Amino acid sequence: MIDWGLGLAGLLLLGLAWQWATERKRRRIAEQLLATADEKLEDMQRKFERFASPDVVERLTDTADAYTPERRRVTMLFADLRGFTALCDQHDPGVAVKILNDYFRHMSLAIDRHHGHVTEFVGDGLLALFGATEANPWQERDAVLAAQAMRSELALCNVSLRARGLPELRFGIGIHCGEVVAGVIGTAGLSKFSVTGDPINVASRVEGLTSQYHVDLLITEDIRRALDESFRLRVMPPALVKGKTEPIQTYYVEPDAPGPGVSPR
Amino acid sequence: MTLAVPDASKTRDPSMAPLLNEIEWGEPILPRVADPEWEATIKRRGAPLGEAEQRVSPVKWIREACLWVLTYRAREIPERLSTMGAMVAAQEVSCRYCYGALRASMKMLGYSESTISRIERDVRVAELEPREHAFVSLCRKLARSRPRPAAPDKAALLALGYSSLAVSEMAFLVAWGCFHTRVTVLIACPPERFFERLASGPIGFLVGLMEPLLRARTRRRHLAQLPEPLDAAALRDGIFGPIVATLAGLPAAALLKGALDEAFASGVLSRSVKALMFAVIARTLECRHSEAEARKLLTAEGWDAQEVERALTTLQSPKLQPGEAPLLAWARDTVHYQTGPIQQATRALCGQIGQLALLEAVGVASLANSTVRVAMLLE
Repeated sequence: MIDWGLGLAGLLLLGLAWQWATERKRRRIAEQLLATADEKLEDMQRKFERFASPDVVERLTDTADAYTPERRRVTMLFADLRGFTALCDQHDPGVAVKILNDYFRHMSLAIDRHHGHVTEFVGDGLLALFGATEANPWQERDAVLAAQAMRSELALCNVSLRARGLPELRFGIGIHCGEVVAGVIGTAGLSKFSVTGDPINVASRVEGLTSQYHVDLLITEDIRRALDESFRLRVMPPALVKGKTEPIQTYYVEPDAPGPGVSPR
Repeated sequence: MTLAVPDASKTRDPSMAPLLNEIEWGEPILPRVADPEWEATIKRRGAPLGEAEQRVSPVKWIREACLWVLTYRAREIPERLSTMGAMVAAQEVSCRYCYGALRASMKMLGYSESTISRIERDVRVAELEPREHAFVSLCRKLARSRPRPAAPDKAALLALGYSSLAVSEMAFLVAWGCFHTRVTVLIACPPERFFERLASGPIGFLVGLMEPLLRARTRRRHLAQLPEPLDAAALRDGIFGPIVATLAGLPAAALLKGALDEAFASGVLSRSVKALMFAVIARTLECRHSEAEARKLLTAEGWDAQEVERALTTLQSPKLQPGEAPLLAWARDTVHYQTGPIQQATRALCGQIGQLALLEAVGVASLANSTVRVAMLLE
C-alpha cells in the first residue's frame, strides 16, 4: 500500500515537474517572441524616422492621435540651390549626390537647432516647417534664425568644397507664414505628414524672388511683423507673383549683426 | 569641453526614450561646493550626499528642493511604483544622472535586470498590471509633454480605480522629478557611478536582501519629516496659488509652495525675469493657466500687459537687467531639449552671467517646468 502511495506521489511530483518545465519553456518562448517583436518595433521606428520627424513618429506610434487633419498657423521655409543643375552636368553623378547630401545634412542641422523640421527634399530644394507638429508661438523668429544658421552652415560646406577643388554652393531662401491644413497626406500606399494651402505657394514664390533680387534670404510682411528690432531688414520693392492679384512686400534679412530697425532700400 | 557622444549606428530612434548608454552627457558645468553645515543637514535627514546636492548648495532654495526630491515619500502610491515611474520619467528627459541612480535603486528594490530592461526599452510591452501600466505611461507622457497630457489621461486613471488624490500625487511626483532631472541635466551633473556599480554587484544583491528592513526604517523617518498638508484656501493666495491648491490634502502642496515662495524671494535674479521665465515655459507648453499666474506676478512688478506680451513675443525686453537678456530664449529651450545642445547652451550662458546667477536660472527654469506640469494635468 505504502509502495503504491509512494509511487503515486512520485508520479504526481513527476507530473508537476513536467508541467513546471513545460510552463517555463513556454514562458521562455513567449519572452523571446516579445523581445523579437520589441526589436522589430524599434527597427521599424528607426527606419520610419528616416521619412518623418521624431515628433511625427512619436505621435503616430505611441499615441491614439493619428494626426487628424487640422488648420493651424505654420511658418514655411523654402530653400533652393542656385546653379546646381549645371554642377550636376559637369560632375560625376556620385560626386553631385555626395555634395547634395552633405548640403542637406548641414541645412537639417541648422533647422533642427531652431525648432523646425525638414518635411521634404525635392531635387536640390527643401521645405522646412515651423509649428506644424506642435504649437510654436515663436515660429517666425525660429524660421529666420534657422535661415541665418543655414547661411553659416553653407559657409562651412563651401570651405570643404573649396578644399576639394569643387565649385561653391549658393542658395535662395523664402519664408512666409499663414494658416494651412496640416495632416498625413497621400494614398494608403504612400503618404507623409505635410501641409497644404495658399501660404505654401507664397513661400515658394518668395523663394523664387531671391533670384530676381540677387539676394539669399527674403521674408514676407507677416514674418517681419513677428520680429523684434535686433533683426536688420532691408525693404525690397513689392513684386507681383503668380497666383496673386496684389504685389507682395518682401524684406531682405541682412547677415547677423547687431543694430536696430528697418532701413530703406 | 568633451561630450560623451554615443555611436550613432547603435543609437535608437530619437522618438524613443534613450537607454542609459545612449545619453549624450558633457563635463560638469558647476563645481562641487563644500558646505559642512549643509552636508550635516543632508545626513540628519537620512539622504545620501550625492554629486547634485554638492553642486547646488550655494542657492538655499534649490538645494532644499533637491533634498525634498530625495526624501519625499508618496502616501497614495506604492513606493515600488513611484520609483519605477521616476525612472521612466528620468529616461524620457534623458537625465543620465537621475536615470542611472533610479535604475540602480530599482535593482536594490529587487527588480530583475530583464524586467528593468523591458520597462526602459518599451513600457508598452513590459509585464505590468493595467493600473501600473497606466501610471507608468502617465509618467512618460507628462515628463515628455509632447503632446501634452490632457483631461482624458486623468479620467483614464480615475476609471482604473485611482483616487483623485492619488492622481494629484502622481502629477506632483513626475513634476517634482522633472525639477531634479532638469537641474542635473542643465548643470551636467556627473553620474553616481559608484552607486550604480554597487547596485549591479554582489554588495547590491546583499543590500537588496536587507532592503525591506532598511526601506521601512528610512520611510518612517522620511514620512515624519513631511510637512502637514495645507488646505486649499491657505494655498490659493500665494504665488501660483491656484496651481499649488490642486495638491491640497497632500504634503506635496506645502513643498511646492515653499519652493515657489523661496525662489521668488531669492535675490540673485530679479523677480521680473523669473516671472517671465515661468510665462515663457507656460507658453511653450500651452498652459494658459500658468501663463496667467505668471502675468499676475509681472503686473505686481509694474509691467503692463503690452510690455509683457512684447517680451513674450520677442523673448527679450529692455526692462530686464542687462545680464538677464539671454535668459528667456534659454528658458524656452529647457522645455524640450537634446542633452548635448542644451548643456552647451547652458555652459555658454554660464560664461555670460556667472555661476551663481546660472544656478538660480537653472533652478527657476526647472521649477517652472515642474509647476507647469502640475498645472497641465490638473487644470
